[in-house]
Amino acid sequence: MQPPIEQNRGEGPTSLVIRKLNASVDLHLDRTWYNELQQRIDRNGPWDDWTMYQLAVEAEQSKLIGSFDELQCMRSLPNLEPMPHQMSTARKVLNEMSGRAILADEVGLGKTIEAGLVLKEYLVRGLVRRVLILVPASLVLQWVRELNQKFGIPAVAQKKEYMWQYDVVVASMDTAKRDPHRDILLAQDYDMLIIDEAHKLKNKKTTNYQFVGQLRKKYCLLLTATPVQNDLDELYNLITLLKPGQLGGQSEFSANFVVDKRLPKNEDQLQEALSSVMIRNRRGDGGIQFTKRIVKNIELTLSAEEQALYDAVTGFVRQRYDESGGDWTSMLSLITLQREVCSSRDAVFLTLVNLFKKTAEDSPLRPKIWELVEFIRNIQANTKAEKTMELIREMNDKVIVFTEYRATQEYLLQYFRSHNLVAVPYRGGMNRGKKDWMMDLFRGRAQVLIATEAGGEGINLQFCHNIINFDLPWNPMRVEQRIGRVHRLGQESDVHIYNLCTLGTIEEHIVSLLHEKINLFELVIGELDHIIERFEKGETLEQRLSKAMLESGDSSELRKKIDDLGNSLTRIRSEVESEEPLHITTPIGAMMDAVGQSVEVRP
Amino acid sequence: MNDRQVHKFVQRYLETTECRIMEKSPAHFLVKLSPKADRDLTNRPFYWGFVDRTGAEPETMSMLLVTDKNKYDESKASEKGASVASSRGGVITGAVTTQPAVNPSGIQATPGASGPSGATQPAGGIAGAAEAAIGRSMGFIHGTLNTNVRVPREDLHYGSRKLEQLFESAKANGSYLCLFQEPDKKNSHPLQSTAYTAWLGVNYKVEFACDMKREELHSFGVSLATGQCAEQFYDRLQSLRMTPRLPPNVHTAKNGLTLNKATAIAEQTLERKLRSYDYEWADAAADRLQLELATIQHYYEPLLESPDEEVRRAVAEQFKRRQDEIRWQYEPRVTVSAINCGIFYLQGIG
Repeated sequence: MQPPIEQNRGEGPTSLVIRKLNASVDLHLDRTWYNELQQRIDRNGPWDDWTMYQLAVEAEQSKLIGSFDELQCMRSLPNLEPMPHQMSTARKVLNEMSGRAILADEVGLGKTIEAGLVLKEYLVRGLVRRVLILVPASLVLQWVRELNQKFGIPAVAQKKEYMWQYDVVVASMDTAKRDPHRDILLAQDYDMLIIDEAHKLKNKKTTNYQFVGQLRKKYCLLLTATPVQNDLDELYNLITLLKPGQLGGQSEFSANFVVDKRLPKNEDQLQEALSSVMIRNRRGDGGIQFTKRIVKNIELTLSAEEQALYDAVTGFVRQRYDESGGDWTSMLSLITLQREVCSSRDAVFLTLVNLFKKTAEDSPLRPKIWELVEFIRNIQANTKAEKTMELIREMNDKVIVFTEYRATQEYLLQYFRSHNLVAVPYRGGMNRGKKDWMMDLFRGRAQVLIATEAGGEGINLQFCHNIINFDLPWNPMRVEQRIGRVHRLGQESDVHIYNLCTLGTIEEHIVSLLHEKINLFELVIGELDHIIERFEKGETLEQRLSKAMLESGDSSELRKKIDDLGNSLTRIRSEVESEEPLHITTPIGAMMDAVGQSVEVRP
Repeated sequence: MNDRQVHKFVQRYLETTECRIMEKSPAHFLVKLSPKADRDLTNRPFYWGFVDRTGAEPETMSMLLVTDKNKYDESKASEKGASVASSRGGVITGAVTTQPAVNPSGIQATPGASGPSGATQPAGGIAGAAEAAIGRSMGFIHGTLNTNVRVPREDLHYGSRKLEQLFESAKANGSYLCLFQEPDKKNSHPLQSTAYTAWLGVNYKVEFACDMKREELHSFGVSLATGQCAEQFYDRLQSLRMTPRLPPNVHTAKNGLTLNKATAIAEQTLERKLRSYDYEWADAAADRLQLELATIQHYYEPLLESPDEEVRRAVAEQFKRRQDEIRWQYEPRVTVSAINCGIFYLQGIG
């Protein structure tokens, strides 16, 4: 496997001359030009243009790589502004790690950017031409997009077999390791291999692991936020894949560095060995400077008809609960009903219809359900939808409306459409292509995105900075997830969050819990996890809320129960906040931390 | 190259390829490409294959080449703002189009194209949607591949793909020269013949590579009459006026050297120079190489003693592959190739 330049250019026996220049270096003289020039002299032409000749030299002069170690790629990327830790990571990979490294930054610090910088630099230097990038299927298009748009690297998503021959190919691991692709890939020489989500390679018995081991590659980057999930062997395997022998043989590694699966020894040495192949940037303690979240609770009073429905449903739910003799686990659909009634009549209606269908024909419940439906019939307008409309018109900017319910989503779509407001839906059930399509429409021509799902990989909505929580999930993490779609690295504006809150309903309590007690909207990222973790010993906040809801005889009792919940949340929050900034307390975690540096991140 | 240098470069390229510049400012060019430039820049090999085989009259593309994005967008925005205010009242204010409309008013993209440029405006929306649709399936699609846009826009900053294509085109069309120095008009006597000497001129690129890389350019001229070797030969050529035609009243000195010999002289001169360099980087790379080889040897050797032959074979294969990879990655080498070269007839005997 010689460097490919020498092999491919051979046109005549004298076209390439190799001579010893000194003890460690050979001189390769490429003489193809000589043969061509001789031919043109013999035939008296054709001759090229003098200006072109000069332009060619000027082009080469401008592209000249003047030094071994100065980063050259930034000249070619006028629109990219990497963060300092991303630049220093790229430099380290290039100059100290010779292009084989594990990039193990914490989530959200831009591993893709770091990999892109390294790749671009090698491309610019002419050290890399053929590149294979293996990522989870859901991230293929995102990688292609980022490399093209941010780095001007002509990456393509592999779709057809012939596309493996392109210079920079992005594909999913599952495709690549399967026949007939596998054999094609194993027959290539890749100047660079990049693997995202590389923690999936921790087990050396898997086909993924063996496949990657067999690929022929010069430079190699493995990207993962979690290089160790369970035990030290995972780390050993990952590094062995990259550079076999770096940590010695398996038995040596165990003898030198492992006390127990999860407990390392000779930490200093291990740390040194690790830092020569792995870079891990962590968020600095409190160093995260995100833009501001500006929270506004919009208080609404329900119309008389809506209030009537709310009261009727609340009464119905409590009655059912009392009849069941306090067995609240079977009350799931009733809780749902209680929550839906805060969202829209459409949502309640659907659930009621389903409940009706499930109930036996002669059950006394049926007329009662029907009664509720009658309440729905009386409602002419949706107070929340009207207010939302008003808000959107006022802000005159892109906005995402989140709701928990599909029926509410449909209703809002139709309601907005009838008022000439362009909105597009987004939900979990859509396939990848449709999601991308909706995202494009939102970016391009729609002012409003109505989403039922906040999770999922690869939704970047930084171009939007308004969120309306049409209704609030009872699970704080889901609320945080919603906000996190917009309020994340790369968001340059302050983010406005509007919580719709109907007075005199359970919603009022939820907003107060999340906003005032947990202070969810202003917490430092990561802090919420700790508070919730401590609070939810055995029972989730959602469950506790449901219980409080069902067990309270009247609204004052409910208020008291919720106040109790709120107080314990406040207490835990102040506990968490007063403690030392959280350090990962396991020995492996400490080890990982020692390898990295913490960085101040500013969007 | 800064924006201004890029602009200058592009202008000279367009002029020398005989493209028709329909509109220009310090921030952009609107051009109808010449067949030569179209072949090199528009990625349409099938179209040109068709033209070559059928002899059809080629229809070249027009392009908007923007050399200073900010300035261009600014000027367009102010222009557009004025025209929108006057003609149609803010139809698309809410929508953010991904690609600004590229068809500047008053210019017809192809001869005989009908309708005012305003008519292409809605088509831009469709093109945008088409682009987005392809983008969803492929992740990204480069602007020039989208044939729905009549005049594709290219931002030519340093490092952009289209500028890189211009570079390649310049290299492909400026590789081999035969030029004569233009004689000074003043001194020339109509009856006197001036002696010219043929020189071999080569512009070398020298690459010092291991897992890292650095480059140098060297330009040599070797007199085919005497074998004299001159450095910085390219700079010398640039200070002269050159012409592809043999000037009148000129005679060339007899060549004393073959091209082969002249090449050898240029190479020797370069090699002598390279020998005098510091090769600490190469020694360091060789050390890294040895260290890496030792590391994997230490790792694989015990595994090679496995009693299972199957395992032994697999390990040996892996070991070999890894050795090859390490050499490929680290082996220090100096590569010399020519950017371009030519025969240059210069005044005087040298």
